[in-house]
Parts: sequence; structure tokens; C-alpha cells
Amino acid sequence: MTQPVLSVQELTVEFVTRRGTLRALDKISFDIARGEVLGVVGESGAGKSVTGSAIIGLIDPPGRIADGKVVLSGERVDHLPPEQMRRVRGKRIGMIFQDPLTSLNPLYRVGEQLVETIQTHTDLNAADARKRAIALLDEVGIPAPERRIDGYPHEFSGGMRQRVVIALALCAEPEFIIADEPTTALDVSVQAQIIALIKRLCKERGTSVMLVTHDMGVIAETADRVAVMYAGRVAEIGPVREVIKQPLHPYTQGLMGAIPSITGDAARLVQIPGSMPRLSNIPKGCAFNPRCSKVFARCHVERPELIDVGGHKVACHLYDQAKVPSDKTEIAA
Amino acid sequence: MSEKAFVQVRDLKRVFDVSKPWLNRVLERQDKQYLKAVDGVSFDIRKGETFALVGESGSGKSTVARMVVGLLHPSGGTVSIDGVSMSDQAASAERQRLRKRIQMIFQDPYASLNPRWRVGRIIAEPIRAFGIIQGDAAIETRVGELLSLVGLHPDDGKKFPHEFSGGQRQRIAIARALASNAEFIVCDEPTSALDVSVQAQILNLMRDLQEQFGLTYLFISHNLAVVRHMATRIGVMYLGRLVEVSDGKQLFAAPRHPYTRMLLDAVPDLAMIGKAHEGVKGEIPNPINPPSGCTFHPRCPLVFDRCRVENPPVIDGVACHAVNAGREAA
Repeated sequence: MTQPVLSVQELTVEFVTRRGTLRALDKISFDIARGEVLGVVGESGAGKSVTGSAIIGLIDPPGRIADGKVVLSGERVDHLPPEQMRRVRGKRIGMIFQDPLTSLNPLYRVGEQLVETIQTHTDLNAADARKRAIALLDEVGIPAPERRIDGYPHEFSGGMRQRVVIALALCAEPEFIIADEPTTALDVSVQAQIIALIKRLCKERGTSVMLVTHDMGVIAETADRVAVMYAGRVAEIGPVREVIKQPLHPYTQGLMGAIPSITGDAARLVQIPGSMPRLSNIPKGCAFNPRCSKVFARCHVERPELIDVGGHKVACHLYDQAKVPSDKTEIAA
Repeated sequence: MSEKAFVQVRDLKRVFDVSKPWLNRVLERQDKQYLKAVDGVSFDIRKGETFALVGESGSGKSTVARMVVGLLHPSGGTVSIDGVSMSDQAASAERQRLRKRIQMIFQDPYASLNPRWRVGRIIAEPIRAFGIIQGDAAIETRVGELLSLVGLHPDDGKKFPHEFSGGQRQRIAIARALASNAEFIVCDEPTSALDVSVQAQILNLMRDLQEQFGLTYLFISHNLAVVRHMATRIGVMYLGRLVEVSDGKQLFAAPRHPYTRMLLDAVPDLAMIGKAHEGVKGEIPNPINPPSGCTFHPRCPLVFDRCRVENPPVIDGVACHAVNAGREAA
């Protein structure tokens, strides 16, 4: 097996507060292969964004990585000193954030920001860096890049700004990109363009992407594999088609039924009672047990580990007898 | 449209003055600038149905909602609800009686509830304001009933809004809307701030209440899947104009306006695993300086000469020259 571009092993992130230590991530593990898009979904508070921040070493105190490893192409990066980590960020790991207006400096022309990033990470001279910046803007689909490179961020529309941010992330040709809700602030028609762009770049450049979003539709179209997170843990991880068509974890099953579809014809949406637990109050055993319809005694005591069920992993005691119960609910497309 | 319409919106217009300050205009020799947020929108809502307005940001859907409830004055056109005009001075007494039958649910449940008031007081406010029930004990009982109706506990009335999650707050907002026995509720993106599992709870609750009380909804959303789930009829807006009005299922089965088709094609959906979309072209133009003629023409695949000059009227539910001329080739 080839080496994964990114391997997260038993990563645990804690926030030390006056009211005790909160565990935002609880031993999460996953790998991302070269050229693969891993979708990370979950509702707010599930720990999706913390996962992204932990990987790029941007967890601010009082938060800290309490345990586990982050391995980038065979090299451990989670305990690098800040100065070295700064060089990994941008050079080897690119980032795309939700709000394109706050991730660009409003006082600098986009060209200056691109050239600065290119020169930080490569040894191109100013003229070559500018040429490269124009080429990047062209690649992400900005019309007339020779002219637009001298524009300020406010002169760009939301979709165009997000393209600039993607160009920024690509500056140093990173092997891995974290896209944290890249299309959430955009309208659907623009969202479709950005998704198409991310997919194309992955294919052409072989870049791996961790796509963090709460929108299952975006994941369905973009990702190869998907990890479903709940209360700081991975509930289910597997190929996107299997997770969407045959979700195993009761939480994923509920989530799929709760999403209104433009093609399906459900009279009523599936309801998951209650809401995500607070970090200060995560239930014992399986974190989903108070909301689960199939809960049994073991769920209250013992935390389920991720187990392999036919190429697709799930953290649920229901699947622990090495056989999948026959009443497996399928979610019709 | 044989049945009598409960809400009638006719040729509704709203213009915002977005000019720079006077001194700038003089020094920079600029004229006043106007933004036509809503430009000639007409539709009917029948009693007991859910009429949805969809569109991307800047299409004017929220402005329409605010004018329908009377939070904004229209620059032109009329809104009449149950036969009473909302702008006619003569009908002011009738309008007062009508007020309590109209309520609104807002997008952000964190901003729409007063953080310093207990939930019970928030829900009781419309009851007191309209003098529907007299006496504190009776009002308290009613508030308890309303809270149970939306799936909360009657004792929750003693708490403050910050003690509730987003979904629970939206339930409180719904309870407040029902407090004055409203019949017509305008919902402006009621679930877009919520997570999907909570969104499902709220959408189901809204449907149950509609069945129970025969409520009429004007439902505003940018999420086409949610709209499909909720709406009886749907109006699609683009740059302040209504481009297509159609029955809910019909719109998704056979969209007619090129913009509707483009929008439907762009929605990411669970059924679209690994499939590529047809390329969506362009973005919404600047509404201060919209394109001439049909405002969609720069992005339209069916564009022809007439579209660039003449604004298409709504004929048979679609405002498009090409569709009306029978050129809607698939």
C-alpha cells in the first residue's frame, strides 16, 4: 500500500477551562491518499473545524493537542516548533476558509498577496512570481487575470474572491489542502462553480483535499470518501457512495433522512430527537446514545471503537458481532 | 386561479436610495443612485397553502417578505391580505384588526429574541399587545399551551433565551408567532441557521402546525431542497423580478425558465454522487446597474435580440421571451 499523504492517528484535542477540561476531539484517526478528497461532515460542534486547525497546528491556547499524531507524507508534523510549522503551512498544506473576505487582506491588491506568498515559499524573483500569480489566477478561472491581478479584494465578487483564495492556497503547490466550508458563504450557482474547480484541481494536480462542510450534498458530489463526525469522534468513515446509500451508524442514517432532497419524495423528514451534546456534558459510552433509537445496555457503558464492516468503518456496538443486522435501513436515493 | 386569493401582491416595487452623501455627489459629479430591490412582483397566495420564494442573495426575496408584513413600505404596487389593503389609508381600522393575523419568523433565532426577557414574556407579548386574553394567570396558561405545542416544556417559559439551542429558539419564535392566533406566517429563511437534523425537526413542526391550524405560509429560502419539501407553489426570483411561478412539484419536474433550470442544475444533491454538473455560467450582476431588457440575458443560453431590449412580462407563469416564443429547446 502506498503511503498516505496525511495520516491522523488517535488525535485528541483538549481545551483546558476553568470548568474542567473539554475534549473537542477524542481519538480520531483517518488517512487521506494522494489525489483523494476526504469529506468531513457533521453538525456544528462535531469537531470538524478543530480537526482542520489541529492538522495545521493552529490550535490556540487554552486548546492543545493532548495525544495522537499527525503525519504528513511520512513525517510527523504535530509537534514541530512554531517556526518550522509556519513553513509547512502554506508550503505543504494549503488552506481555504469559509469567508473569502476575511481571508484576504483588504488593504493589499490581490496580486501583492499572491506574490508575497509565492516568494515566501519559493525562490522566484518578483517578475517571475508575478507571472506565476497571473497563471494561477487564470487556472482558477478568473477572467482577464493580467488586469484583475491589480484589483483589491473588494472589487471581486464573493465567488471570484473564493477563487483568489484557492489560488493563494495553490501558490506553493502543496500536497494537501484543507478546505473548511469553502462554499458555505456562496450562492448555489457560484457554489457549483467552486466545487467543479476544486474537483478539477484535485484531478489535474493530484492534490489531496480534506473538505470540511455541513452540506451533505456538496460532499456527495465532491468527495471520494467521507468521515461523519459526532461530538468530537468519527462515527462512520467510508466511500461516499456507501455512506450515503447504506449508512450504518444510526446517526448517519438519521442525518441522511433529515436532509430534504430535490429529487426524493419524502412526505416527512426523519427526525433525530434532541441535539448534539455540549462538550462539557458528553454522555458516557457512545456519545450518541441519548438520541439513538437502537440503543442498548452496552451503549451506556462502553465507548464503541471504529470497526471494519465491509470496507467501511463504523463506531457502533450494533455491528460488533461481526455481522450486520438484517434490518439495515437503506436510504432510497 | 379560481379560488379566492388570501394574499394578493400586485406589481410590488421597492427602490432603495444608495447614493453617496450630498457633498460627494457634488464634488465627484455623480447622480443619485437607486437600487431596484423589487421590481414589479405579483403573486397570489391561497388560504392554507405554502407559497415559497426562492432565489440567490440579492434577488429581493426578503424585501418582498418585509413589504408583505408591512415592515417596509412599498415604493409602488399593493399588498392586500384577505381583501384589506396594507397601504390604503382608508382601511387603517381594518388593518389594525388584520395585524394580529399576520406574524413573521426570522432567520436568526439568536437575534430575534430579546436576551433580557424571559421566554414566557417574549411569547406573551403579542397576547398582551393585542389584548387577546386578559389576566396574568390566563396568559400564563396560554403561554404554557403554546410551549407544549411547539415541543417545549411549559416550565421553559421561566428561562432566558440563552439557555436554549438554536433549534429550540426557533421553536420559541414559532410559539410567539402563534400566540396571536395568526393565520398567515411569513417565514424568512427559518432554518438556514440550523443544522440539518434540527432543520428537519423545525420543518416537520411547521408542517404539523399548518395542518392543525390551517396556516398559510409565505416561505422564503435559498435552499431549493427545503423549498421543494415545504411548498405548494413556488416563485423563483432573479434580480428583483419574479421569473417563474409554478406548482411545487411541477417546478422541479419541468422547470421552464432558463434561470430556474440553471439553478436546479447547480444544487448539490445526495443523488448526484460523483456526477459532474453542467457548467454554470457567470454570477448575479450588480443590481444597481442591472442589464437591459431581461436581466438574465447575459447568462442565458437561449438569449436572442429581443431579450436585450425588452423586459419580458410574466405569461402563463414564466417571464421569458424565448419560452413564450416556443424556443425552449431542451
